[in-house]
Amino acid sequence: MKPEDEIQAVREGFAKGGYICDKQIATSIFLSRKLGKPILVEGPPGVGKTELAKATAEYLGQELIRLQCYEGVDEAKALYEWKYGKQLLYTQVLKEKLGDLMEGTVGLKQSMDRLHEFDDTFFSTEFLEPRPLLKALWSEKGAVLLIDEIDKSDDEFEAFLLELLSDYQISVPELGTIKAKSTPIVFLTSNNSREIGDALKRRCLHLYIPFPDSKLENDIIKARVPDVEEGLRKQLVAFVQGLRTLELKKHPSVSETIDWARTLVLLHAETLDAELVRDTLNVLLKFQDDIENVDGEINALTTQAQKASA
Amino acid sequence: MSEVLTEFIRALRAADVRVSISESIDAGRTVELVGFDNRQVLKHSLGQVLAKTEEEKLSFDETFDKFFAFDQFKPPPKREDGPGQAKDGEGEGEKSESGQDAPSDGEGGEEGGAPSMPGQSSGGDGGAPQGAQSGGKPGGGPVNEGDVRQAGPNAPGGQNLLEMLEAGDAAALQMALAEAARRTQLNRIRLFTQRGMYVRRILEEMGLETLDQAIETAEREGTEAGDARGQEIREMRDGLRAQVRDYVEQQLELYTANAGKRLREEVLSQVRLSNVDHRDAKVIRQLVKKMAKKLIALNSRRKKRTLRGQLDVRKTIRKNIEYDGLLFDIVWKSEKVDRPKVMAICDVSGSVAQYTRFLLMFLYSLSEVLPQVRAFAFSGRLGEVTDLFEKEGIEKAIAETMHVHGGGATDYGMALEDFADLALDDVDHHTTVIMLGDGRSNNANPRADILDKIHDRARRVIWLNPEPKSLWNTGDSVMRSFTPHCDRAQTCASLKDLERVVSELLRTAV
Ligand SMILES: Nc1ncnc2c1ncn2[C@@H]1O[C@H](COP(=O)(O)OP(=O)(O)O)[C@@H](O)[C@H]1O
Ligand SMILES: [Mg+2]
Repeated sequence: MKPEDEIQAVREGFAKGGYICDKQIATSIFLSRKLGKPILVEGPPGVGKTELAKATAEYLGQELIRLQCYEGVDEAKALYEWKYGKQLLYTQVLKEKLGDLMEGTVGLKQSMDRLHEFDDTFFSTEFLEPRPLLKALWSEKGAVLLIDEIDKSDDEFEAFLLELLSDYQISVPELGTIKAKSTPIVFLTSNNSREIGDALKRRCLHLYIPFPDSKLENDIIKARVPDVEEGLRKQLVAFVQGLRTLELKKHPSVSETIDWARTLVLLHAETLDAELVRDTLNVLLKFQDDIENVDGEINALTTQAQKASA
Repeated sequence: MSEVLTEFIRALRAADVRVSISESIDAGRTVELVGFDNRQVLKHSLGQVLAKTEEEKLSFDETFDKFFAFDQFKPPPKREDGPGQAKDGEGEGEKSESGQDAPSDGEGGEEGGAPSMPGQSSGGDGGAPQGAQSGGKPGGGPVNEGDVRQAGPNAPGGQNLLEMLEAGDAAALQMALAEAARRTQLNRIRLFTQRGMYVRRILEEMGLETLDQAIETAEREGTEAGDARGQEIREMRDGLRAQVRDYVEQQLELYTANAGKRLREEVLSQVRLSNVDHRDAKVIRQLVKKMAKKLIALNSRRKKRTLRGQLDVRKTIRKNIEYDGLLFDIVWKSEKVDRPKVMAICDVSGSVAQYTRFLLMFLYSLSEVLPQVRAFAFSGRLGEVTDLFEKEGIEKAIAETMHVHGGGATDYGMALEDFADLALDDVDHHTTVIMLGDGRSNNANPRADILDKIHDRARRVIWLNPEPKSLWNTGDSVMRSFTPHCDRAQTCASLKDLERVVSELLRTAV
């Protein structure tokens, strides 16, 4: 199949699952699979970065494994932990059996050697609690690994990820090297709260998802809020698009447009008017400042939006 | 990795897109994967592999569009008539416009414009498409096609130029062009004066000779069909030449725009001002700012020299006489640097419209450097804009000046009268008066006598005329009556000229 056809197939597959995207986004899925490279997805909050990973998992029929990053996330939370509880329990059991076990050993040295044989047991995968990254490596059928909001983690963790993402393997001191059973598709998302390091960027494909244009946003609303009438849908999308041209602390994102559309449907609205907008504006704008600041523009924006459906 | 890709990465780097070795390897794999056929897929793919910030993506898109200008080679319309091919082409077009394509992509059309159907050009459905192109002259096509085939190998890659042209194989032509550009080192182009040379070399590289031969062969037949065929190839050749010229033009812009900001400045400063369009205004401003800074640096360097000046023996001895010749109080020679006092009068009338914006920008920056610049502007009547320049930002100041004084019909006589009223009393032997204008007075009395008065009082009068000297005194230009009252009158049509004038001004004005 030609690349453009494969890309189109991705788009159509996504659309079936309710994720509506442009060619740029579909291309990154195509490329990532062919080149075996992770995708770093950047863009403002709520434009569907996380959703993209979910949609990909669904489209490919693979498991979605998600690692939500936060300040201080570390290897133990991301890769694996030893099951101390289980280890402890086994030690208790072992203690009781100690007499039996040591039977026949002569002197401390021999006893120790005998004990050491159990090391391997304690530090075997039996006692390993896999966290998202290891789960992804272990996945038999291949998985979609979502490392969400990487910008919230620290540089150190980023450096650690770099090793993992360079050849999809990781070395665990007690176990040696663990290699991916089948290369996962990896998404890293960032809301740009900090710059992602160059090294990591070099290793990844880079996808920037901006706010959608009105055509795309209309399609998204159509897919996500099928109950909303076409006329109202065009108006509300036009209104949101208008809001995004204003100077605001936080622009409404796709997620807010969806919420707003749902709200308007609940209110049985058929068309947009200034009063309706004022009553529901807090669904779109999260800062009181913003709500107050746009108040003067609402009439104009609403009139403009009304024209969009005409 | 393909040479074209290497070249493209070079252009990207010049456009401030950082590309590491590993990324260029990824790019190579990407091109292997997606090929050059579909422009949009290529663009999206390489963009994700090579550009990793929002700014880099902007630069990338711009550079890509210039570098892979696939749409330069629009397939000739005849293709649509051809059986089979046309269908293929339509299929592509449909897809690109289908369904949910975001309109912001804006590339649906282009995608269709870059059909690359390998082998299409060698497709042998006889003279059918050719006949169509030669205006339906029967017989002409097939015979000559045979001739043409001899001129070059038919193998892909070494494809014959004429065949590619006839097939309208945009992708193949584009690759051939890019390859020829690489071999002629088009990436070294820096000056617009080099365009012609590169166009010629690239055409030769692409196989211009084979076209010329084909024309000759066809026309030597002496038949009507032969002549028609010759004419046909001639037209294709001219079309190709125009396309190559466009391409070279774009590349010039690409490399001058990107090959480091310094190079751009250097090149820009040689470009005649009239060629400097609106879009470049920003760059000019930076350049002028930098020039202004350089002027300041020049000034302060000269100042420093005075600090560690030489011993003034005469003055020192005279001063120390009272100490019986013991040298207590040492006097150093100091070279006093007076900053020149400047009055600048700028013509902002319609006839110099394309220069004024620039001249005013320059003037503005100049007045930032030299505290004693008084600025005046006029079309018909003249007004002082010094305060405006002092208080407002450059954009506003210029816009305001243009708004109040700009665009009208020139009347040098009236303007000079106004100037005399406003400022003649302040002109003294420290003052340099600069006239910026074309000296076209719309057949009104230029009042050169007032300029004469100004000249008498001023330290110097300099006239900078954006027109080349050959145009002075043509039409309504009355430079000849002004020049006797100027210490210097020169053409100032480029930044380089201006820079020279200004540094000279700073050096000589005492
Ligand atoms: N292109 C899209 N198609 C369908 N739904 C979308 C799209 N973009 C965003 N959404 C919806 O918007 C909401 C926010 O998306 P999310 O992926 O969490 O944003 P992000 O991760 O970029 O902050 C989700 O509920 C998602 O369903
Ligand atoms: Mg998210």
